[in-house]
Amino acid sequence: MISTIGLILSWICLLNLLILFFSNNKFRINLMVRFNLLINFLLFCLLEIGLFINDFSLNYIANYSATTTPPVYKFASLWGSLDGSILLWNLILACYFLVYLRYYKKSGENIDIKIFTSIIIFFTSYTIFSSSPFSGCIELSSIGCESSSLLPFQDLVSSSQGRGPNPLLQNHPLMAIHPPILYLGYIGLVLPFVITTSYLFQKDTDSRWVQLAADSTFYPWLFLTAGIALGAAWSYEVLGWGGYWAWDPVENVSFIPWLLATAFLHSSKAQLNESTLLNWNYVLGGLMFLSTIFGTFITRSGVLISVHAFSNGNIGVFLLSGLAIFTLFFVYTGSKNIEYFSTSKKLGNLFGKSGFFIANNILLFVSALIIFIGTVYPIFYENFYNRQLTIGRSFFDILIGPLLLILLLMMIFSIRLSKKNINFNEWFQQNLLSLNISLIISIIITYTYRFEYLGILTVFGAMSLLIAGVKNLIPKIKQKRIKGSYWAGQLAHIGIAVFSLGLILNVTQSYSSEFIVNENSIVEFGGKTYTIDKAYEVSREEKDIINLPISSNRNIKNASLNIFKNSSQQAISSPAIFRTVEYDTYVTIKFIDSNNFKLIFRKNYGILIMWIGLALSTTSFIPKVKQNEK
Amino acid sequence: MKNRYIFVSLILTLVLLPFLYENDESRFETWSKNLLCPVCQGETIFDSPSEYADDMRFVLKEQINNNLSDQEIYDYWVSRFGERIITNPQNKNIEIIIIPLLISVIFIIFFVRKVKK
Repeated sequence: MISTIGLILSWICLLNLLILFFSNNKFRINLMVRFNLLINFLLFCLLEIGLFINDFSLNYIANYSATTTPPVYKFASLWGSLDGSILLWNLILACYFLVYLRYYKKSGENIDIKIFTSIIIFFTSYTIFSSSPFSGCIELSSIGCESSSLLPFQDLVSSSQGRGPNPLLQNHPLMAIHPPILYLGYIGLVLPFVITTSYLFQKDTDSRWVQLAADSTFYPWLFLTAGIALGAAWSYEVLGWGGYWAWDPVENVSFIPWLLATAFLHSSKAQLNESTLLNWNYVLGGLMFLSTIFGTFITRSGVLISVHAFSNGNIGVFLLSGLAIFTLFFVYTGSKNIEYFSTSKKLGNLFGKSGFFIANNILLFVSALIIFIGTVYPIFYENFYNRQLTIGRSFFDILIGPLLLILLLMMIFSIRLSKKNINFNEWFQQNLLSLNISLIISIIITYTYRFEYLGILTVFGAMSLLIAGVKNLIPKIKQKRIKGSYWAGQLAHIGIAVFSLGLILNVTQSYSSEFIVNENSIVEFGGKTYTIDKAYEVSREEKDIINLPISSNRNIKNASLNIFKNSSQQAISSPAIFRTVEYDTYVTIKFIDSNNFKLIFRKNYGILIMWIGLALSTTSFIPKVKQNEK
Repeated sequence: MKNRYIFVSLILTLVLLPFLYENDESRFETWSKNLLCPVCQGETIFDSPSEYADDMRFVLKEQINNNLSDQEIYDYWVSRFGERIITNPQNKNIEIIIIPLLISVIFIIFFVRKVKK
C-alpha cells in the first residue's frame, strides 16, 4: 500500500516538475513550487509512517529498519541509507526552491526557475528510474529483502523482521541531527549556483548577482559549519577513534565545499567594493555546488573505502553524468560572458581590503585543491600503477596546516581594513598593547605546553586575534551596534581564534596509554586516579551493552561495548569521557578477555575549547539577521 | 616607545623559548602515527582500538627496542602490507607535494596580474 502510494506520488512529483519547467505564468509557478514541496513532504511522512508501522513489504524498510529499532533511530533510518537519504535531499531541495522563489527570484524571464527545476528533475528521476525507497519487496532473503520492484500495484511479500540500521548509525542520537543539518548546508549551495548561472545566462551583468549569491551562501555556509562540527562531535563520541577528524575521504569532500563557500563569502566582497574578480566569483559561485555533487559521487559510488560509505548503488554513473551536465552548462554560461569578465578591474592596492580577500582566496582555494588531490589521487594511483596508496593525516598536516596558519595570522588585520593600503606602522602603534598582552599570554602557554614553532605561531596568532577582536567588540556591544556582515565576520574570526587554540593543544599535547584491568583495579593516568568497578550487562531489544563503570573523584562514567543482535559487525565501543576545560580523559574498552578488560586511556586536550570556538563562530548569524531586520 | 622595547623583548623570549626544552616524542609514537591499521577504515595504529593494531604496535615496539633503522622498519612493513600501509606517502611520492605547489604558484601569478602595476 505505502509502496504503491509512494511510487505514484513520485511520478506525480516528476510530472508536476515537468509542467513547471515549461510554465511561464507567475501564479502557476508559485503554485507548483509549493505543490512540489507538499508532495516531497508527503513522501517524507509516508516513509516515516512506513518505518514506524514496520511495513517490511518495502525493500528499504526491510533492509534498514527493524521492529526492535528504538524510535529515534527509526525516525533517522529515513536517511540511514542511500535511497532514503535522496528523499531527504529532495525534500530540502524543494524547501530551498520555495526560499529561492520568495527571496531571490529574478524578475523578468523564468530562466532561473528552469535551471532550478532541471536540478530537481534530475534527482527526482533517480528515485523513479533507478532506485526508490518506496520500491516494494518481491523476493525475501533470509533476513530483509532480496529484490524489489519499482512498479506500483505489485504483489508484495513482507518479512516479519527487518535487518535494522547499520550499528554505527544507531548508537548516538546525533544520527537524527547531523545528516539533516549537513544536507541543509550542502543543498543550500544550489542557490548561488542558480543565481550566478541564471543572471549570467541572460547577460544580466550589474553586480546584483554577486550580492544575491553571497547573501544566499551565508546560511548554507552556517549549516555546513554546524553540520561538519556535529559530525566531528559524533565521531568523537561513538566511533571510539579518540578523534574528531581523521582526514577520511568523506570528511574531506565535506570540507571542500566549506572552504570554497568561505572563499566566496570573502571574494564576493572584493567584487562589490572594487568590481574586481568578476570571473573568479563566477567560478566559485558555481563550483561550490558542483563540488557538493562531486563529494556525493565520491562517497556514494563506492570508489573509495571510508567509514561513511555505508551504501553503494548505481548512483555513481548517475551522479557523474549529472556532474558532467551541470558543469557543461556552467562552462557554457561562463563562455557567453567572456566580454563581461574582461571588464573586471585591476586591483589598486595589494594591502587593502581586496588584497587581503585575494590572499585569503588563494589560501582557501589551494587548501581545497590539495584536499581534492589528496582524496582522488589514490584512485588514479591504483589505476595507473596497480598498487594502493594511502594519503592520510601526515600529508594533510604538512600541506594544509601551514596554509591555515597563515590564514589565522592574516585574520588579525581584519579588524580594521579599508580599501586603501594598510599602514603597517600605524596599525602596529594602535594595536601594540593588545600585541604585548597576547605575547605575554603566548609565552606562558608556550612554556607550559612546550610548544614547537608551529605551535608558537598558532598560539600567538590566536591570542592576538582573540584579544584585538574582543577589544574591538566590547564597546560596540554596549552601544548595541553589532550589525551587518562586518560583525558577522568578526564574530566568526573570534570563534576561529578560540578554535585554533583548542586545536593546537589537541594536536600537540594528547597522548594515550593502555591498561589491563579487572574489577576494583586502580589506574593512575595523567596525574589522576581512576577506580574500575564491576562490569554489568544490560540487555535491550536491539542490542546488549556491557558497561564498565569507571570512577574518579566521585564522578562515575561508563565505558561500554555495544553488541548489536541483528548484525555481524564487531562490537562498537562507546567511551567514558571525563571532561574538564583543559582536557578530556577518554576511556575506551579495547577488548575483554575472560575477566580482564584492556582499556585505552587517552588524554585529549582542548576538545571543549574547540567546541566553544565553533559555537562562537556560528553566532555570526546574529549580526546578519539584525542587518536584514532593518 | 617604551612599549616597543617590551614588544621586541617579548618576541625574543617567545622565539628562544623552545631551546629550553627538548622534543620528547618517542620514535614509537612517530612510527605508530605513520602506519595504517589495515583492517580499520583510515585509522593509524596509534589511534586504532582494534586488536590487529594492537599486535602491530607490539611488533613495532620490539623493532624500536631492538634499534632497527627507519629504513629497516619501513621495508618490514611495506614488504608485508604494500605501500598503502604508510600514511605519509609524500616522502616517496614527491609528485603529490609538487602538483599542489605548482598549481598554487599558477594561482598566485594569476592573482598578482590582477594588481595594477
